[in-house]
Amino acid sequence: MRRIDCAVLALVLGATGTISCRKAAEKTSTEVVAVRRATVPADPADAAWKDAPAFPAPLILQDMVEPRLLTASTAEVRVRAITDGARVAFRLEWKDGTPNDKQAPATFTDACAVQLPGAPDQKDVPAPQMGEKGKAVEITYWRASWQAVVDGRGDTIKDLHPNAAPDHYPYEAASLAKGGEPQREMEQRYSPARSLGNHMAGPRAKPVEDLMSEGPGTLSPGPSNDSNGKGTRLATGWAVVISRRLPQGLVPGGRSQVAFAVWEGDHGEVGARKMRTGWVPILMEGKL
Amino acid sequence: MARVFNWQLGREMSYWYPESRPKKQFAAVFDINKCIACQTCTLACKTTWTSGKGQEYMLWNNVETKPYGYYPLAWDVKLLQELGAQTWDGGPYPGQTLFESARAGERVLGWRPQEIDYAHPNMGEDDCAGRVDKGCSLAIPHMNWFFYMARICNHCTYPACLASCPRGSIYKRPEDGIVLVDQGRCRGYQECVKACPYKKVFFNPLTGTSEKCIACFPKMEQGLVPQCFVNCIGKIRMAGYISKPEDARPENPIDYLVHIRKIAKPLFPQFGLEPNVYYIPPIHAPVSFSHMLFGPGVEHAIKEYRDAPNDPDLAGLLGLFGSSETVVAKWKRQGDWVSGYGEDGAEVVKVPLREPVHVRAGLDPAHGVVRTNCP
Repeated sequence: MRRIDCAVLALVLGATGTISCRKAAEKTSTEVVAVRRATVPADPADAAWKDAPAFPAPLILQDMVEPRLLTASTAEVRVRAITDGARVAFRLEWKDGTPNDKQAPATFTDACAVQLPGAPDQKDVPAPQMGEKGKAVEITYWRASWQAVVDGRGDTIKDLHPNAAPDHYPYEAASLAKGGEPQREMEQRYSPARSLGNHMAGPRAKPVEDLMSEGPGTLSPGPSNDSNGKGTRLATGWAVVISRRLPQGLVPGGRSQVAFAVWEGDHGEVGARKMRTGWVPILMEGKL
Repeated sequence: MARVFNWQLGREMSYWYPESRPKKQFAAVFDINKCIACQTCTLACKTTWTSGKGQEYMLWNNVETKPYGYYPLAWDVKLLQELGAQTWDGGPYPGQTLFESARAGERVLGWRPQEIDYAHPNMGEDDCAGRVDKGCSLAIPHMNWFFYMARICNHCTYPACLASCPRGSIYKRPEDGIVLVDQGRCRGYQECVKACPYKKVFFNPLTGTSEKCIACFPKMEQGLVPQCFVNCIGKIRMAGYISKPEDARPENPIDYLVHIRKIAKPLFPQFGLEPNVYYIPPIHAPVSFSHMLFGPGVEHAIKEYRDAPNDPDLAGLLGLFGSSETVVAKWKRQGDWVSGYGEDGAEVVKVPLREPVHVRAGLDPAHGVVRTNCP
């Protein structure tokens, strides 16, 4: 009986050991491999991600152009990718002990981005730092403050500062019908960025933005606006899915380059002050 | 970095972009000695431009009580500390500007106010006063003094906000030199907030873009002065356009006060931005403090200003301050009358050199009451 007990114990320990070993031996790759599936997952917690190999991308300082980041923060972003042949979804996961999802004076939000060449050309890729003139890059940008709004945070100062006590907005005067066009027009007048359709200005329906760039300082709205994403908070950091259509010319079975960036809001990172990668090869699996 | 000429410093300096002066440069003169800190200017601006969501804390115009009042908190002393002690006894400025002292990785020497720094629009305003029976709340080794300083964007010739923006979202209008943030292009990096030494660019937390004083350009385009000027109770302000020193015209009120008579001085010229709001220094504050704020020549400005009662031209022009909503492009004194003219040459205002004074008896015998004389 005792022998049987020992055998069972040995089996249990052995099985546990095997599971531990499996967990530790996460499937990784030396390039980003977008595995082919019927659909691309929208949620970072989707089980489909387990089958996609992780590419651990080391991050380096953006210290090439002013304003530069001179002290490093996030060391690595782990990237997985899945494609359905028309779209590609990236799952970015990185460590960040301090969630920052508010923007305010001297307060910056956590964020990440995926960058692809506008036209894949293995021999002549754009400069990895935001592309270059005549050789555009396409960027999809996610930020935690937009995610918080999409997840239900309101669009007022009281949603950012619960104890704030704004006494009066002119467009909320009793003489203006609530929700009417005159009221809406007057509110817009006090929000010039929104009046001009600045994508940054919100309020937002999705937490990502499509952009293109031909060099530092040239970021502009992208050729399409059909990307999407979702970020969730993990115990030790962020997991974010960024999903976008394949860039023109990149087809299933094809190769291109991809780059990633992460902004640590708590470290004052914003705009050019970021941790980034250089170009990383990416393979779009062709067969389902 | 390009090399540009800054006439306030009397020398060339480094700047991010080459020198490109506008056709006309918006400018203003504020007479500190007339300001009573009623904050009417502040509210005129607030109700006109910054009553929207995310703008709650913004004061594009503010009035602070110097030396201990600030908005945002310690905006000037923090930067002076960052810059370090500089000396300037007149002549070309031998010290470092904010562009020349930029740290590695930065375009401009600056600092970022935290949210809490905006929480008190004039913290320290009463520290030099206090009730007579209780004594002053602040014990300092020198005599107590204070003055009120109204502040707007200086629409600088070499704006630090513009130099710091990595994506060129800030521009200086070639037609009038007014500095604006392109609200369609700004991505809210706050580099401009950090770089502006006067802290006159503000981040809107709901739109995620930075906003600033626009010198009421829709009014200026029609030849009308900004809201904070026309609403000024104390009539401390004169708006107009300034020429380069070598092109100064005495009939231009701003040129006359800044270049000809040299009684109006720029705020912190040592920062190197060539700011275009000029101050007639306070006559009751220590000259050493005014020297730190306004650079060399403060003694001369105070002497001239004190002598204005014996100086019909200067007294006459000071009487034109706040007298018209139309921008006074030219002025002229004829005998005991002073006229202001618009850009089209038409007379827009005429004021007596000295307002007639009527002194009433203290007691009104008809009603049996003591009169209160109000200005």
